[in-house]
Amino acid sequence: MRWGMVINLAKCMRCHACVAACRVEHFLPLHVTWAKLIAHEVDEGGVVDVSTYPVRCNHCADPPCVHACPTEASYRREDGIVMIDSDKCIGCRYCVIACPYQNRTFLSKDKDPGYFPGYAKTGFERKGRKLYPHQVGTTEKCNFCVERIDAGMAKGRRPGIDRDATPACVNTCQARALTFGDLDDPESEVSKLIRKYNGFQLRAEYGTDPSVYYIDYRIGGAPSNKAPEHARTGYNMKHASTVDRDAARRLGRSTVKGEAKQ
Amino acid sequence: MKARTSRQWIVPHEWMVLPMRQVEWIERKGRLVWLAEVFSALGMGLYLVALIAGNWWATLIGWLLIVLFKMPLHLFYLGKPLRFWRAIPPFTKAWKTSWLARGMFFSTVFIAAGFVQLLMSYIIINGVASGAALDGVTFVNWIASILAGVFIVLTGMYAGFAMSYCKSVPFWNTDLLPLVFLLMGVADGLALLMGVGLVTHDVDIERLESISRVLLIVNALLIVVYLAHAWRRRSVAKLAARDLLVGRTALVFWIGIVALGIVVPLAISFATVFMESDIARPLIVAIVCHTIGAFALKYALLKAGIYKSVLPEAL
Repeated sequence: MRWGMVINLAKCMRCHACVAACRVEHFLPLHVTWAKLIAHEVDEGGVVDVSTYPVRCNHCADPPCVHACPTEASYRREDGIVMIDSDKCIGCRYCVIACPYQNRTFLSKDKDPGYFPGYAKTGFERKGRKLYPHQVGTTEKCNFCVERIDAGMAKGRRPGIDRDATPACVNTCQARALTFGDLDDPESEVSKLIRKYNGFQLRAEYGTDPSVYYIDYRIGGAPSNKAPEHARTGYNMKHASTVDRDAARRLGRSTVKGEAKQ
Repeated sequence: MKARTSRQWIVPHEWMVLPMRQVEWIERKGRLVWLAEVFSALGMGLYLVALIAGNWWATLIGWLLIVLFKMPLHLFYLGKPLRFWRAIPPFTKAWKTSWLARGMFFSTVFIAAGFVQLLMSYIIINGVASGAALDGVTFVNWIASILAGVFIVLTGMYAGFAMSYCKSVPFWNTDLLPLVFLLMGVADGLALLMGVGLVTHDVDIERLESISRVLLIVNALLIVVYLAHAWRRRSVAKLAARDLLVGRTALVFWIGIVALGIVVPLAISFATVFMESDIARPLIVAIVCHTIGAFALKYALLKAGIYKSVLPEAL
């Protein structure tokens, strides 16, 4: 068994719901984000194409962070989930540097000022800290909501199928861009998606074999190696400077596209 | 402050999308890592060279640089310093894969073996023991010297291996890096040993200078090869090399490493060959410049640690 995730880039609509769900699920400190959304913008003559990449720990099969950790605080479970034992972590940050995906965060004091800096912690925060005691001075990252998976499986639920055994970000995604399941099961939804759409991993050349796969029609999938327009996240989006003269001035562009030669 | 915030908050079009600098080991509290690595090189070089030259005071200073500077600075950097013991075998089995755990082991063995070597050497030099006891002390000193010598080299080099392990930082991800750490450290040690010799007057400074001249030229060539290698290899490694040569770290590179670290000591070293008067003053200038160069080298190397972007290059 190896838990993994498939992220459909064509469906992601940049709502940040997965980021928020993760934050709420784990009572994350104010300046710490486990699941993130990064945007890649291509500006071709004023026509903007934006692709968004939801990123989180890739739970690699051959994780450099685990190999780098000097205390065995980082370890890989039999089900493929890469974990950090905060009680063993010494805060050397070697894993933060060794992770090729930059998905680990060192929790320093200034990253945890409380949800309302300058004020006392709310009851919500205090209760959250009992459930998830984030230790200042240690490293953190996405854990695939391991607590939900373990509790759900103990009740006979199936991760990726039953909501109470599935990561919070997957449950929350309203576009159904995230799919969770067993990568070792060829009949699982994730395996089928990877096969059907030729799923790819980020930076596969590192040989880390991430458990997070991406599918879209742009990379590795379509023979044309280009997304159909309707699948582009930034379809119909135009850079402000191409339609608004004031915006063009603010952004240092001399003219609005189409009016250049007038 | 700004750099930290930008790493935590989503910065579209930049973070993970463009090559970004590593900050954990060079900015804010990360500067302790830089200083620790400098003292690691100075301590390693001085102890090793002094051990070979048989200078007790210099070996003591080299050992103290590791014990009083390198190790404490590394410990202060940790998020949980009191848990440091978890990184030392046998409390961890991570030495099988982790260069940091190996480094902790190397440093611990060196500190212990170095202490025994210093103690035994002191007994021998001052004639505290005699007869069969002296034979025993000499034997222990011999074993401790070999152990300390081997483990100080490993202590000086392991950070190079740890950094070269990072595949996503192409400028570091090369087998040349541990060699740079070793040779630069030995050159630093030679300079410091000359400094010690100026005080104790029991060091053949002329001989050290001739070795230092060769080593400085070798190091200069090594830097050229390292940069050329980075320039040719991959785009991000080239970016880092460019950053060193003409970018934001150029001042540190040209003034700190090239001018102060190599050119000035080398020029003084050649000039002293023809000097008949007291060479102490120019030698002190050369030693100070060389030591500044050691600080600059580690700073530039850590600063040039630039990650490849996370997104696939097909984009």
